[in-house]
Amino acid sequence: MTQLPDDRELDMLAADYVMGLLDSVAEAAADERLETDESFQRAVNNWRKRLGDFDISAPPVTPTAQLWQRIVQSTKADRAAVVPAGMRGATRGATLWHNLRFWRVTGLIGTAAALIFAFIAIGSITTSKHLRRDLVALAQRKPVYVAVLVSDATREVGAVVNAFANGRVELIPLKTIDVPQGRTLQVWTLWDRAVGPKPVGLTGQSRAIDLNLDELPETVANQLFEITLEPEGGSPTGRPTGPILFKGNTAKVL
Amino acid sequence: MIRNGSLDDRTGVALLNVEREAQMSAALVRCAAGDRRALQMIYDSEAPRMIGVARRILFRQDLAEEAVHDAFVRIWNGARSFDPARGAALGWLYAVVRNRALSIHRNEHRYDSAGEHPEEIAPEDAMARLPEASALRKCLEQIERPRRDVVVLAYVYGMSHGELAGRLKVPLGTVKSWARRSLISLQECMG
Repeated sequence: MTQLPDDRELDMLAADYVMGLLDSVAEAAADERLETDESFQRAVNNWRKRLGDFDISAPPVTPTAQLWQRIVQSTKADRAAVVPAGMRGATRGATLWHNLRFWRVTGLIGTAAALIFAFIAIGSITTSKHLRRDLVALAQRKPVYVAVLVSDATREVGAVVNAFANGRVELIPLKTIDVPQGRTLQVWTLWDRAVGPKPVGLTGQSRAIDLNLDELPETVANQLFEITLEPEGGSPTGRPTGPILFKGNTAKVL
Repeated sequence: MIRNGSLDDRTGVALLNVEREAQMSAALVRCAAGDRRALQMIYDSEAPRMIGVARRILFRQDLAEEAVHDAFVRIWNGARSFDPARGAALGWLYAVVRNRALSIHRNEHRYDSAGEHPEEIAPEDAMARLPEASALRKCLEQIERPRRDVVVLAYVYGMSHGELAGRLKVPLGTVKSWARRSLISLQECMG
């Protein structure tokens, strides 16, 4: 090992920092250094990777039901917190299906609610829009299929494609891709080899985008997604012409 | 998960971790953009293991949940400071959890926890839980006990130099030099 003493000291500081062995003053200084010092960032990242198997192998413990609700409240007590509670009420309703008294009361409440709703609906169409958006958000929270796009050359993960139940498909880049002047990144999918790859998205730089698969059949497992480098405005032939930067197949989310 | 039939189990596990890492990285990018669903995705995927990590430091379920609660608030507010280009999303997430758990441990539980639950502190158990193929495990096994225990007790059970000296019944200076030598061996072995 031909390590310079300075590097060793930096690595040991990073190790103590990651281990949690620094006293509070030294830790605060390290926190600050982490913001600005790239070599320290690298050293800390390396120690997190080295010791990470301890975390991955910790025995899982089921959280109590309230924990997520508390997190929602603390991260901002907004409408998103109200909707899941309402959804739980809806499922509880099923067990009350045969309860006559419940229905009598519900009938009265229902009438009152209908009146109140009529008032609210007139005044605030935006509210129902928000509510609908939240409900949709709830349904599409978790993607049905995921493709991790990897570079053949470097084996680096470049982006993730998430396909949701409502048909929305998004691409989230995880690496900054240098796009030369006059070129663009184009996203393709191949669900039928006989038909060939179809263009589904175009972006000048690596940023999260929604892909347009409206014209295509529903996304399925093992469907190929890839990103190629194309002339500005997209491939002139409708087929990939440039190098494939990242590619990967969809897998069903467990 | 649909997998190529020719993959052996180990490759499968490695791939699954690569995928989990990429998923968490993507979720953090979405959190930074204010997407609440992404935060819940992280919760659904990682919360049980996060509580497991915090419990080894804090022993009590309520305190462990407190640490994970605080961690999620930090993750939500701090997602912007995570840079996906540098990778290590899981490393970042668990660093936040350990940081919060250690903070609770140091502030509220400094003196009584280790004394209350000595039977729950078992460095051999944490070692045994590491995957067989883990480089961390192989490299730790090359370090002699009790020098190796210093790393496990500090990282997994959140023990400070002082607590380590008490448990291992050696002077503080010895603990510090054991820790340093063990970490140097680890780094040289793991690269």
